[in-house]
This record gives sequence, C-alpha cells and structure tokens, in this order.
Amino acid sequence: MACAVIVLVAAAGTGAGAHEIGTTRVVTRFPADGTYRIDVVTDATALLARLEVADGIPRSGSTDPHVIQELVGRHESALRQKLTIVFDGVRVEPAIGVAVVPPSEVNGVPGATLTLTGRRPAEARTFTWAYALTGAAYGLSVMPGDDGAAVTQWLDGDQQSTPVPIATAVPAPGRLRLAARYTALGFTHILPGGLDHVLFVIGIFLLSRRLRPILLQVSAFTIAHSITLGLGMYGLISLPSSIVEPMIALSIAFVAIENIVVREVRPSRIALVFAFGLLHGLGFAGALKDLGLPRSEFLTALLAFNVGVELGQLTVIAAAWALVGYAFGERVWYRRRIVIPASVGIACLGLVWTLQRLHLV
Amino acid sequence: MWIEPTAFTPEPGVLLGLRLRVGQDFLGDPLVRDVKLIDRFVVSGKDGVKNVLGREHADPAGLLRPSDPGLLIVGYQSTPSPVVLPPAKFQQYLTDEGLEPIAALRASRGQTDAEAREVFTRCAKTLVLLGPAAATQKDQVLHFILELTAEQNPYVMHAGETLPFRLTYQEKPLAGALVVAINQREPSVKVSARTDRDGRVHLALGKPGAWLIKAVHMIPAPAGSASDWASFWASLTFELPSAPSRASR
Repeated sequence: MACAVIVLVAAAGTGAGAHEIGTTRVVTRFPADGTYRIDVVTDATALLARLEVADGIPRSGSTDPHVIQELVGRHESALRQKLTIVFDGVRVEPAIGVAVVPPSEVNGVPGATLTLTGRRPAEARTFTWAYALTGAAYGLSVMPGDDGAAVTQWLDGDQQSTPVPIATAVPAPGRLRLAARYTALGFTHILPGGLDHVLFVIGIFLLSRRLRPILLQVSAFTIAHSITLGLGMYGLISLPSSIVEPMIALSIAFVAIENIVVREVRPSRIALVFAFGLLHGLGFAGALKDLGLPRSEFLTALLAFNVGVELGQLTVIAAAWALVGYAFGERVWYRRRIVIPASVGIACLGLVWTLQRLHLV
Repeated sequence: MWIEPTAFTPEPGVLLGLRLRVGQDFLGDPLVRDVKLIDRFVVSGKDGVKNVLGREHADPAGLLRPSDPGLLIVGYQSTPSPVVLPPAKFQQYLTDEGLEPIAALRASRGQTDAEAREVFTRCAKTLVLLGPAAATQKDQVLHFILELTAEQNPYVMHAGETLPFRLTYQEKPLAGALVVAINQREPSVKVSARTDRDGRVHLALGKPGAWLIKAVHMIPAPAGSASDWASFWASLTFELPSAPSRASR
C-alpha cells in the first residue's frame, strides 16, 4: 500500500522556518543487492559557498559549472564532515560522485547532484541521515526496497532524520520462492485463519456426500472468487469491507439453512454458490491487499495466493469427508444426526457474525 | 532571509530573477516561490507598486523584465510561520541577533530552559539599479511590518563610506535594535550598530560588492496565540560600487 509519511520538523536556530522549503532534494534507495544510493540534488553555488566557508577560505563566487565541479571535488573532506549516513547507529563513509549541470535559461544557477554510494552493513535495519550543507527545509525520500513506497521526512537544515526502517529491503526472492510464500499465505488465510470460509466450504460439503455435486459447487465457488479476487486486486472493482464482510457471514448462514430445507444439489444451488463465491473473492482481495503484493511479481503472487486458497478449501473438504463422510455417509441417520445439527450450528454462527459485522450486537 | 537578484545592476530589457535566500552570514539556500507564504511580493519603480510574478515552487521566486532606467525597490513580506526551537538554540539566536531584552524577559518568567514557540515574519527588500545612478533615486517605504530603508542611494556611494539606514516597526522608528551589515565576499567581517531614537543607524561599509543589511525585532506573542513570541526579520540587499559614479553625483 502506497504510503507517504510527511513529518514536519522544527527549524534550526538560524531563523529558518520549517515551512520555508528550499530546492534541495534527497532521494535514498536501498536496492536488493545490499547497496545504498543517495542522490542529493541541490543548488551548486550554495553548495560550493558552504564548502568554502567550512574550509575557511574566501568564497570564489564561481557560477561556471565546470569550475564548480572541480572546486567541490577539492573540498571532499569538508563534504564528508557535513554528511551523516548511519545504519543501525553505525556511521558509514560513502563513495562520492559530483555532477554539476549548467543553469537553466530562467534560473541562472547551476545545479549539483551528489551521488553517495556504498554497501550497507549486512542485516541493517534502520537508516539515519543528516546534511549540514543547507539552511532551508528539504525532503528526504527513502525508498525502503525495490517494491517499497517512498517514505518522506521534511528536515530543516542540518537536522538529523529519525531512523527510517529499511528492514523490508531484503533481497527479492526468486519467483518460485515468492510463489511458495504466497501459496502458503493463501492456504493459511483459510486454515487456520479463515473460519468463516471454512464453515462455508463445510456447508457446501454437507448438502451432498456424492463427489459430483461437491465438485460442481467447489468449482463454481472457485471460479467466482478467482474472478473477483483478480478484478479486486487490479482495482477494477471494489466494495467496502463493511458491506463485503457481513454478506460473507450471511452467505454462510444462507447455505447452511438451505442444507436444512433442501436435500439435493439443484442448479439454483450452484448459481447461489457462484454468487457467494463472488463475494468471498472480494474478501480475499481485501486480505491480500493488506498483505501487500510485490509490483514486480504481481500476477505470480496473485495466482499463488489463489492456489493457496484452493488448497485450503480442498483440505477442508478432504478432512470433512475423512472425518464424517467416509465413516457415516451411508448411514440412514447421517442427515438427521450430522447434516442438520451441523447446518443449524453453522447457520446460527453465520447469523451471529452477520449481526456482529453490522455492529448490531 | 533576503532577496538576491540575479543581477543588482541588470541591463534594461533583460529577464531578472529575484531569488529568495535563507541562511546565515549571507550564505543562503534558495527558497522556492510558495504562494502560501507570500503576503506581499512587490516591485516599486517609476510606474508605482506592482506585484512580482513568478512560477509556483520555482527558484527564482520572482521574475521581472525591467526596461526603464531607475532604482527598483523589490520587497517580499511573508505570512507568519510558526516554529518551535529548543531552548539552547533559541537562546543562542537571541544573543546573535541582539535580542537581550527578550532573553531577560524569558529569564524573569523562568522560561530560559523551555523550548520556544515562535511565529516569524520575513520582511525583505532589495535595491536594483537600471542605467546610471543618481542621488535623486531613493529607496521607498513599502509599509512592511519591520522595514529597513536606505536613506541614501547606495549606488551613488562607494566602498569606505558610511551609509545611513532607518529601521521602522509598524511604520514607526524602532530604537535600540541591532542592525548588522554583511559583505557577501567577506561574510565573517560584520559591521553593526544599534538604532538611535529615530530608528537611524550609520554603517561604514568598507568593501565593494553585495551587502546584506539585517535586523530582527521580537515581541511577546499576543495573548491567546499558540506561540510565545512573534519575530520580524528585516533585510535589505544592494551592491556597493567599487568606484563612485562621480558624473551623476
């Protein structure tokens, strides 16, 4: 989920206010290869003047990009003193690249980009930054990893940033590992995480112990929730969870009640399960959005999550068949002693959840 | 904060950038144009007072293409901005800016070790000359809350001479305020004096080149305000010629 945290920080004692935004921008990246790259884009003449003052020499006042680039290079030790790059409380020294570009027609001031690179310590979890070469407020944007959204702090002058977590910037897993991870997430979303989905699947199972009706219902449910899960994840459809979640609970009660009043799987039952499957898919999409999907492997993760959900549902049906269907399915009391009491229980639970999710109880 | 034009003595008809700079010792960083912060951004010349135009979030914050010879007075007054400063930094800045009465007031209130909630307002001016200088060209009062005004045209003066300035607060002379002059090429050498009862100060400016004249005034914030203190930052920039333009004096 894209999220930008804006932190306005109090100003330094020069009278520079937190709201007086300068032209300096700092963008920090932590690629999966264990390195870091910090780009500082700033006014070249101001940068040079501050470095000259730091080294105690008269200000040259140069505005020639080539001259500035050369002069900035001569003040590398002063530049290093004014930069603070810290990982987990340990300061590191970057390799420094300087590029000065000519002024634009209007601006009249050349721009400088400092590129600070290096290898971050193994297992580094936080990054802290300070830049004592500007007196104005500026934005520090930190990209936690290849897929992470930027986190921006507004810093004033030499103010030190708060530690920014970079723990998510772990090396990107391979496609197979990622698929396995999201399959597991899909599975655990059903077992043990999704009691409501489990009861819905048991409700499907209870109406008929024959394989074909069960497969028909499961297939309808699977196709339906795959459709809405996919459409929901691509942002093509959405319904607020305040609507989806109570309706999922109601669908559980509905299927269970039908088990009590109907004895056979009819086409209308398949259609009903399909319709409810559409609802459950929206619920899965909400859960998957909360988990987050890597942008680079969006489809892989989406399909893997769906496969995991399917495996979870099939496990529930297999377990239900093994526990009661296989042993008691042929008994004359199976419906009276198993199907109806279990359906009544599921229906009651579904109705209670419905009321709870509507905040009525 | 001060205004640093792309040229203090531009050729007529050339696009002139009016850069806002913030920093210390005339060593500044660009501030982009931010409409939320602008109370007034004006230029005063032969045609009267006009608004300075510019592109939002751009540096220079203002752009002009002046064509007529004469002295242009450019002024920027900000809207008030709040800021919270740690006690040590606030105390240091009171000392640096000659605001000892405020330090004494804080001490009497037992606030010396407390963080300071301040709301500050910028009142910056710059003088730009087009064409030949003349003693008849005058700095003008722009009716800023705190305002520094040159009482002689700096462009007819030269390095080594003493220049008179006047400081007004709410358009009345402000006495006892510290006025500091800084030359851009030699910012470590500061010239300073306190204003007399008429708000006047005379500063001997020994070097040619760009000069920043500045003063800060602070008062307790009005009752009911979210801040403890209200400060006003006046500045005036211009370029002092290395050789006087005697023909026009």
